[in-house]
Amino acid sequence: MSETPLACFEAEDLGHGEHRVLSAVTLSLLPGQRIALLGASGVGKSTLLAALRQRLGARGAWCPQHHGLVPQLAVYHNVYMGRLEHHSALANLWNLARPLKGPWNDVAGLCDELGLTGLMRRPVGRLSGGQRQRVAIARAFYQQREVFLGDEPVASVDPHQALALLERIDTRHAGSVIALHQRELALSHCDRVWGLADGRVVIDAPSHELSLADLDALYPSAEGRTRSLPPSNAPVSANADDVTRPLDATPPCSRGRQ
Amino acid sequence: MSSAPPRPHLLSGNTTGLRLARHTLTLIALAVLLAPLADLAVLSRDPWAELGRIAKGLALPDIGAVEDPFTAIGLTIGVALWGTAAGVILGFPLALLFSRSRLIRAGCAFVRAIHELFWALLFLQVFGLSAVTALAALAIPYAGIFAKVYAEIFEQVPGAARNALPQGVGRLSRFAYTELPLALGQLAAYTRYRFECGLRASVLLGFVGLPTLGFQLETAFREGRYAEAGALLWLFYLLIASLPLWAHRRMLPLLALGSIFLLGPWPDIDAGLVTRFVTQDIWPRALLEGDASGLAAWFQAIPELLPAIGNTLLLGLLGSVGALLVALILWPLASRHFGTVASRLAGTGLLIFLRSTPELLLAFVFLLLLGPSLLPAWIALALHNGALIAFLVARHADNLRPGMPSTSASGRLAYELLPRVYPAMLALLYYRAEVILRETALLGMLGVATLGYVIDDYFQTLMFDVAFFLLLVTAGLNIVVDALARRLRPSETPMDDPCLR
Repeated sequence: MSETPLACFEAEDLGHGEHRVLSAVTLSLLPGQRIALLGASGVGKSTLLAALRQRLGARGAWCPQHHGLVPQLAVYHNVYMGRLEHHSALANLWNLARPLKGPWNDVAGLCDELGLTGLMRRPVGRLSGGQRQRVAIARAFYQQREVFLGDEPVASVDPHQALALLERIDTRHAGSVIALHQRELALSHCDRVWGLADGRVVIDAPSHELSLADLDALYPSAEGRTRSLPPSNAPVSANADDVTRPLDATPPCSRGRQ
Repeated sequence: MSSAPPRPHLLSGNTTGLRLARHTLTLIALAVLLAPLADLAVLSRDPWAELGRIAKGLALPDIGAVEDPFTAIGLTIGVALWGTAAGVILGFPLALLFSRSRLIRAGCAFVRAIHELFWALLFLQVFGLSAVTALAALAIPYAGIFAKVYAEIFEQVPGAARNALPQGVGRLSRFAYTELPLALGQLAAYTRYRFECGLRASVLLGFVGLPTLGFQLETAFREGRYAEAGALLWLFYLLIASLPLWAHRRMLPLLALGSIFLLGPWPDIDAGLVTRFVTQDIWPRALLEGDASGLAAWFQAIPELLPAIGNTLLLGLLGSVGALLVALILWPLASRHFGTVASRLAGTGLLIFLRSTPELLLAFVFLLLLGPSLLPAWIALALHNGALIAFLVARHADNLRPGMPSTSASGRLAYELLPRVYPAMLALLYYRAEVILRETALLGMLGVATLGYVIDDYFQTLMFDVAFFLLLVTAGLNIVVDALARRLRPSETPMDDPCLR
């Protein structure tokens, strides 16, 4: 390959301290790639993303799981935190008392784009789950970095919004690595899939070579069920079907969707 | 035919309930065993007539007899407000260094271990009967308390927001954007709770002569003017009960500014006098001269030391066990699971009355009734702290839903509720044990033969070196008991909120 990877792992073990979560990870992230990270909960998606974040340094915009927002601060301040290191401590302190002009205008633009218009001064603690999600994404956008690293950044919004948000991420960032639960979105939206299972990387392939059935292998407990259960047993996914049906006719499994 | 496994012996088994039951019975047995060592004689000849007069005073208070109640109330609030504020200003920076410096932790443990009233006695010698004494007496121990509790709160702030920050963010910005806003609610709640404690302490400062509400209260009680004392007591209850009304966030700056004028006149502080007090008066002369044999002689000249320590510890133990028993008996009275609306109202009222009355005052009343032995102090400590724990336990129990609500009351108590609330109850008691010990020293000021009595005595005879040494002994004792209580405290505590301690 001619392009130099932004980050790569060569047969590396990843984990927290002594505790190993993923073994023998071999992956490389090229500029411009849009990667979906799939796998059952607890398999190590967050660990891999944290490792990527470290590798990418100032090139990775970070949107963590459960948002990591400060509920007591206003939307504006939470978004501003994305570029906290670009200002002096004094400016940061003053900004808490009176928002700085430049950042205020920049953040206002982002909020308009993400459907948070008029909420800049509202404490994050008083927002709905979906709104918080978008604040976390706005904070990552505000970092203005090359690669968007998202740990389930569209987990708490409906599938239509999820798709819209993923498109926004694409326009704002040259590349992305996004942990997803929605397998259909992974295939329709991203150009590559990394799949984790049993503490290892088991899928690293372009999404056009994969089917939903391939991805089902990542969720072991759902394997038997997908084939035996009629589609009516998965009512939660009724909405998602609108988006995904054209892709694949297999009955959707309720797991890995939520 | 298979036979049942052997029936367990009495109280044998490894469930939490049985373990805590054995723990409690050991504690009670220890108290019963040691109780004969305590002086529990009833020395008063006619306690009932006196009690009747006190009850009459409470029932028929004479508000007209109280001289200038508003100044006393204003001063009480002012001292509490400014004392707490000074404690926050001193304690907050210490909290940030708390986990890093052993020296700061030790210093905070030391200043916490000495009761506000003893700090007042100490500062009285240099600043006289002035607001400086009162404020310093509150601010210094509170600084130690704030440092510890604030540090605990900061430690428990979830790390998610901090981890989401980009790399290279400075310490101050990180603190201002994540840790501080996340902790602010809890910090404010605890500060508020401490202010309430400060209000009580401010009243107590009257007992050493500072002109807060407690001063008139003590004089009226001592001189037998029970109608006036009753009126003052009602004023105090009213002050505590109306706290949510007037201690509003917007009102506080107004109150602070208003009360600052009541705090004066400010004393002229003689720097030479202060220096002499700190560098010479409170240290034994032999120590300053490096005379070892003189120091030994000085030490041997404190005859009351061991009995006073013994009495203090004994009263602490008896008080704690008494509080546990009182709490065990009283909490169902205020719980929604038992009794009728009327009985619950009466029970809750009784508990609020007992927990709001300062223990010093309770002891004072019992002392009038029973004479100066350990008995009135024991009763006062057990009732006040027992009611306090019972109230919290009752509120905790109200949030529980019994699985089988239709069982009899005793069944509900023994099978549903007590097993669930008892660990928290015991944990609260162990938190309280250190407070109880601090209070035993305090009750010494009323003539109960604890360390506090001896300290008060030496302060009055101006032997500051001995008084200060005894203060150090008291602080050391408190630190040891606190450490012991922390080890004995059950770890499964659903009510681990600093505002409950």
